[in-house]
Amino acid sequence: MSSEPLLRVTDLVVEFSTEQGVVRAVDRVSFEVRPNETLGIVGESGCGKTVTGLAIMGLIPSPPGRIAAGSITFQGRELAGLPESEMRAIRGRDIAMVFQEPMTALNPVFTVGNQMIDVLRRYRGLTRRQARPAAIELLAKVGIPAPDKRIDEYPHQLSGGMRQRVVIAMALSCDPKLIVADEPTTALDVTTQAQVLEQIVKLQQEFQMAMILVTHDLGVVAETCHRAIVMYCGRIAEKAEIEPLFAHPRHPYTVGLLGSIPRVGEGEKQDLAVIPGIVPDLLHLPPGCRFADRCSRRQARCDEALPELDGGEDSRSRVACYFPY
Amino acid sequence: MELLQYTIRKLLAGIPLILGVTFVSFLLMVYFGPDQTYQLIGKNPTPEQIAEVRAQLGYDKPFVVRYADYLRELGTLDFGFSDSTGEKVSVLLGRTIPVSLALITPGFILGNLVALMLALIAAHHRSGWVDKTIMGLSVVGMSISFLIVVIAFQIVFSSSYGLGLFPVRGWNVHSPGDYFAYVAVPTMATVFVALGYNTRFYRSVIVEELTRDHVRTARAFGVPPARLLYRNVLKNCMIPIITRIVFSIPLIVISGALIIETYFGIPGVGKVTFDAITSGDQPVLKAVVGLTALLFVLAQLVTDVLYRAVDPRVSLK
Amino acid sequence: MSVNAASVASPAATTRGRRQTLWSKAAWKFRRDRAGMIGFGIVLVYLVAALGVWFGWWATGWAEVHGGKWNPVSGEYWFGTNLIGQDIYQRSIYSIATAFEVGLVVAVLSTLLGAVLGSLAGFFSGRFTDEVVLWLMGVLDSIPFYLLVAAIAFALEGNAYAMHIAMISTFWITTSRLVRGEVIKLKNLEFVEAAHAIGVPEYTIIFRHIVPNTLHILLVQATITFVAAIKSEVILSFLGLGVKDGMSWGLMISESTLEVLAGFFNNFLAASVLMFGLVMAFNMFSDALQDALDPRKVS
Repeated sequence: MSSEPLLRVTDLVVEFSTEQGVVRAVDRVSFEVRPNETLGIVGESGCGKTVTGLAIMGLIPSPPGRIAAGSITFQGRELAGLPESEMRAIRGRDIAMVFQEPMTALNPVFTVGNQMIDVLRRYRGLTRRQARPAAIELLAKVGIPAPDKRIDEYPHQLSGGMRQRVVIAMALSCDPKLIVADEPTTALDVTTQAQVLEQIVKLQQEFQMAMILVTHDLGVVAETCHRAIVMYCGRIAEKAEIEPLFAHPRHPYTVGLLGSIPRVGEGEKQDLAVIPGIVPDLLHLPPGCRFADRCSRRQARCDEALPELDGGEDSRSRVACYFPY
Repeated sequence: MELLQYTIRKLLAGIPLILGVTFVSFLLMVYFGPDQTYQLIGKNPTPEQIAEVRAQLGYDKPFVVRYADYLRELGTLDFGFSDSTGEKVSVLLGRTIPVSLALITPGFILGNLVALMLALIAAHHRSGWVDKTIMGLSVVGMSISFLIVVIAFQIVFSSSYGLGLFPVRGWNVHSPGDYFAYVAVPTMATVFVALGYNTRFYRSVIVEELTRDHVRTARAFGVPPARLLYRNVLKNCMIPIITRIVFSIPLIVISGALIIETYFGIPGVGKVTFDAITSGDQPVLKAVVGLTALLFVLAQLVTDVLYRAVDPRVSLK
Repeated sequence: MSVNAASVASPAATTRGRRQTLWSKAAWKFRRDRAGMIGFGIVLVYLVAALGVWFGWWATGWAEVHGGKWNPVSGEYWFGTNLIGQDIYQRSIYSIATAFEVGLVVAVLSTLLGAVLGSLAGFFSGRFTDEVVLWLMGVLDSIPFYLLVAAIAFALEGNAYAMHIAMISTFWITTSRLVRGEVIKLKNLEFVEAAHAIGVPEYTIIFRHIVPNTLHILLVQATITFVAAIKSEVILSFLGLGVKDGMSWGLMISESTLEVLAGFFNNFLAASVLMFGLVMAFNMFSDALQDALDPRKVS
């Protein structure tokens, strides 16, 4: 893997103006993605992982939200603050996004083929006649059986898993260098989940793309990612390569997450381990570590100031904690 | 073939409705309506004369028979003769309906087209000043009674106190120029009033569609916003839009035309209806109500068929 | 997952501060809507005017004839006089009371009727009750409104309330449709299932548990019906099918149609402007109400 990062996010801050005040959904987050590698962004609902993905695509809904600070560079080019017209040229062609809800992601009144051909014509400059076989080929590549029939069907005639594959095919059709996948398999049943994930990984290798996989499911991360960042309350708690992350998790939150996964065959039955407490209100954040009031290793220092990530850019594992494991 | 079966099924399903409408209106207007016996007789009628006239008018027959007669008239489109003018009702309607259509159609089409355009513009600039202005003007449009608009426009455009550009009343159409002169003010009034309601409604439908996930997907694939509106969103909005347009047709033709025609003295179906109401001209009233019911059922059928053309999810079951 | 500020800030609603109900949140949102508050204020002013008429504090001389024909605006006759010398100002004010009376009666009764029939149709959707109500809605919808009014006027032999009854019998339909749709959605929710499970009788479920959850729809529809009633009255009175005794803006405008051709606009303007004021203010109020009560605001 080449070491020059494809995407570099530095101190990204995303704010939302709500009726009760300004909320920081993402609070100084930094990470990199190298070509061909898969970065996982893990965390529970509301931790800011989806917002991060949307920020990269420039899709933050702009009346309430905005990128307040920080930089997002893609192949050396600054994306944050880029005018919409230029961002549009990048979307799809260089960075593609796959969303969580396959049931509603496709336009119900146009055929699958129609929507795919639309994308193909825009990005590859193909004529309608040329685009159709290309679309059929892509559908086959994402594992849809009888693609030449499916191409003329409407989204409601396909299952959730197939619709998600169509969206993935659309994302691939532009040959992007980076795909941002926001919980791509969460809405699917478990069997389909496994199949679609397998497909995604295979395609990623075949098309030589980098991927950011946003998810709350650690199992998915373990199977597909090279590196991962664990987010909590808009900040990164731990950033590490996959092996050290799962073998030696250092942040108490990560430890808690891994510990709360039920495991089969552990011997005597035990209560499910839970992380006590709840996520703090983003409008009333404590001055210190945001995980502090749920943490078993909490000390006075934790409540004074926000911990930053230790280690350096090259460390295999970095954690933002004063008393990591 | 499937479409034909669907159409027939829908027509059949409309029968209870037609029966219901005709029954209720027959009940209200004919049975409880003005008794014309004395109008036709004159002073000091004898009981024999009364009985004779009543037989002539068909008042002595039992209710069910009279209702059945009515349904037959509806089926054959032969409603007898107008009580006030003596003209054959079907001829009367044949003469006046085209006038009403010619009167109302330009306003109807313009009212919806312009509203749709304004709604698209407003949705495109959502929350901006363009949007707020358009919406503000819509509320103003909705707050003025149609009658007031009609009177005001007549004063401003036609009368000697205003611009005097158009004829004040009447319908003396013998050329396209005449047509334009007579239809202009009514059309402007119709459009003015319709714009308010229509723009608001269309805008809310479009905005609702803009928040859907598939629009987000399209944006994520770099579709430019203008194209987004016209291609990805408009077709999806068509069901509520079509419903509204088609269902407003019966309303507009009878009710809308009624006011304009009465006020401008235009000999169309609306004026005829109004005259019939005030004079209690039963044959005419029966005809108008029956035809409106038919129109309504037809409208339902047309929308159902159009839905299928526009939204593939609608099944033909 | 669509990102919105609410999902980001959601922990607030349950942990911090007072429990927020739909109504308290709505009241707070409404207060911040300037157009709505202005509308509300204007409506209150009109309401006071109407109350004054009902208590006999002013506009009592609306029918007296003592001015000249078509007097212009003057100190004695603030809006001038009409064709037979009646005070236009007093007539306009009296009409406010008529407008409120028509509006309130029609709005309240048609909303009630719509709520009851709509919730019955929705709860028993697909079954006979629903079919009957839907059929009734279709029938009443297809009879041209003015014909219906005329027919009812005849049937009731010119009763002064014929107009109200006719309006109520058509205006309940929109409310009913909306309530029916909402009830269909609600009856599939778990709290209804739970109520069934512990043996609550059906009608209690409908009226004690489901209908209160449609109150926000009912409130907004009531305001819309109020406006529709006032506007319809104008046209009906013009056609001679409306207000019989008393004065209303519709009757004033109807009078003014001849006057206007002779160049005298006071009557027309007074009625039109006053009516526009009330309707516009009420519309603004109604919009703000709708925005405030909408649980998922898409503006």
